[in-house]
Amino acid sequence: MKRWWLGALMMGSVAWAQLEEVQAGFIYVGPVGDFGWTYSHDRGRRAVDERFDWLTTTFVESVPEGDAETFIDQLVRGGANVIFTTSFGYGEATLAAAQRYPEVLFGHATGFQTAPNVMVYIAEFYQVYYLNGLMAGALTETNKIGYVAAFPIPEVKRHINAFTLGVREVNPEAEVEVRWLYNWFDPAGAAEATQALIAEGADVFAFSEDTPTVIQTAAERGFPSFSHYSAMYDFAPEHVVSGQIANWEVIYADFLEKVHTGEYTAQNLEDVNYWWLLDDGAVIMGADEETPINPVFEERLRAVTVRDPELGEVSVYDLVMARHDAMREGGPEAFDPFTGPVRDRRGNVVIEEGVTPDQETLETLEWAVEGVSASSPWDNEP
Amino acid sequence: MELESWLISATARSLAFATPLLLAALGEIVAERAGVVNLGVEGMMVLGALTGFVAAQLGGDPTLGVLAAGLTGGLAALVHAFLAITLRANQYVSGLALTIFGLGLSGVVGRAWQGQPLRNPFRALDVPPLAELPVLGPALFQGQHLMTYAAILAALLLWVLLFKTRLGLSVRSVGESPAAADALGVGVYGLRYGCVVFGGVMAGVAGSYLSLAYRPSWSEGMSAGMGWIALAIAIFAAWNPLKALWGAFLFGACFHLAFRLQGVLPAEFLRLLPYVATIVALTLASLGRSRARRGAPAALGTPYTRGER
Repeated sequence: MKRWWLGALMMGSVAWAQLEEVQAGFIYVGPVGDFGWTYSHDRGRRAVDERFDWLTTTFVESVPEGDAETFIDQLVRGGANVIFTTSFGYGEATLAAAQRYPEVLFGHATGFQTAPNVMVYIAEFYQVYYLNGLMAGALTETNKIGYVAAFPIPEVKRHINAFTLGVREVNPEAEVEVRWLYNWFDPAGAAEATQALIAEGADVFAFSEDTPTVIQTAAERGFPSFSHYSAMYDFAPEHVVSGQIANWEVIYADFLEKVHTGEYTAQNLEDVNYWWLLDDGAVIMGADEETPINPVFEERLRAVTVRDPELGEVSVYDLVMARHDAMREGGPEAFDPFTGPVRDRRGNVVIEEGVTPDQETLETLEWAVEGVSASSPWDNEP
Repeated sequence: MELESWLISATARSLAFATPLLLAALGEIVAERAGVVNLGVEGMMVLGALTGFVAAQLGGDPTLGVLAAGLTGGLAALVHAFLAITLRANQYVSGLALTIFGLGLSGVVGRAWQGQPLRNPFRALDVPPLAELPVLGPALFQGQHLMTYAAILAALLLWVLLFKTRLGLSVRSVGESPAAADALGVGVYGLRYGCVVFGGVMAGVAGSYLSLAYRPSWSEGMSAGMGWIALAIAIFAAWNPLKALWGAFLFGACFHLAFRLQGVLPAEFLRLLPYVATIVALTLASLGRSRARRGAPAALGTPYTRGER
């Protein structure tokens, strides 16, 4: 009799660890309609919600970073057993809530601190930014490329650096001029920053802000640009060259499935760190999902050739596709844009010849590579 | 870069950014001249931006968008007018509610319109003979939108209207001393209604500039605090449409220069510039004794009840 109870209890606890029914709550920093960051997280949420019948999802949007804990409480009270907090600024709140609810599993997007029930995850763009940089370097005529950036934090700096490495590989004369918005979502600021860069002679544009503003503003003056985060091809079919698209669905699906099967529990997330790249399908290079490089620019990209130690004399178009395929098939081991020698813009060698930096180096990077314009302000530059 | 071309491009951009600020500020000036404060400018602007975008997208013509945006702003202001004038509710609370309501409603309704490029936006244009002028041409008459010129024209017309016509005198008297105006046979309620609704129309049109010309698409919250700046400009300009022209230009310049001067001046300082200017303007305006001198309508914010004093 006692055995029977014990068995039932064990069965019960296994079932509990497996989470037969997963209820995932998402905390968003912006509106789901921003067409950028929050929009693409929500796209991922909707996709997994549809895909798994054992999963239900809920979300709260436009949650100020200081208020995250209140909303986590609400979601837990509503029955959520998995919670995703989708902004770097939610880090403290996530860790505090994770202590209060040890049975709930947490995922913190772009975070770096884990706990037994907190994992971190990111769909990382640096490879795609580098590929965009190759194209931008070939397309500029003024040798000045404009970059409208959100916040001077390591993530954004890493992307600007990867982009600039691409630019300089193709065009050692070109410089990347950066303007900071100090905002993730600031259409008016993005428009004015683009106009300021145009006035200073920039003729190709990239950005990290959550709307298609830079593309629209640049296109109005006939300049090419690279879209960010979502498929923005439709906003300027003649002017969007390529871009990066986040595909959070693959990360959410992988994690939630492992929660469902019991592989991940509220006790073993300490070492779970999704740093998913091109080869995981978490990011896509393209003006939209079907257009890796806008055909409008194919001719111009084929007309510029560079000398590559492995590929020999090669057009920028073929170079981009070769590198893209290498990274998508073989991951960062096959090719990594940050492989040394890499110099910062003050001339110091920051990554030695032949060295490929580890994830932590990239996660905490504060310097600017050679080629980022000297007049670009750069907070915390070592 | 040469100083001259630097100044030219900075002027042109300041003008472009000043347009929505000017349109909304002009509307608020008229409403406040009649004695009614409307803190709902931000809400009316964002509603205008959304309805303007939707109407232009469905109708295929940006002019339709402007009309729809003006209508929406006017209707929203009508609600405020009813509360503030007829029900004599607290104008500040009612206006704030309108802003919160506008931001919320446009966010929910606008969801389906996110991420769409506008098919037929207003195109920037050059004004044929004037664009050829040596310095002034590129600074003022190249690559601007028609609405920018309309806004400047509106400032001139409203100045004439307010200070040179009988109607303007009535509007101002209603804002200064509604009881006296009433005694002289001026329709206080009707004029106040008209001015508040006009203010709403202008705020709506200002919003449509954002979604039809400045950045032809819709994003939630795209008015981004401009309504509040417009309120500050009304005070800064001492409720004078011509001075609002300069005020709006100055604020436009603050925004643009924040990006132009990055790397020259500390970014933190530049980012604060428009808001510092707002606070300075508000401080100056609310210094007790200077208030009368700077021309605030005496009955501003006070509901009028016939027969009470």
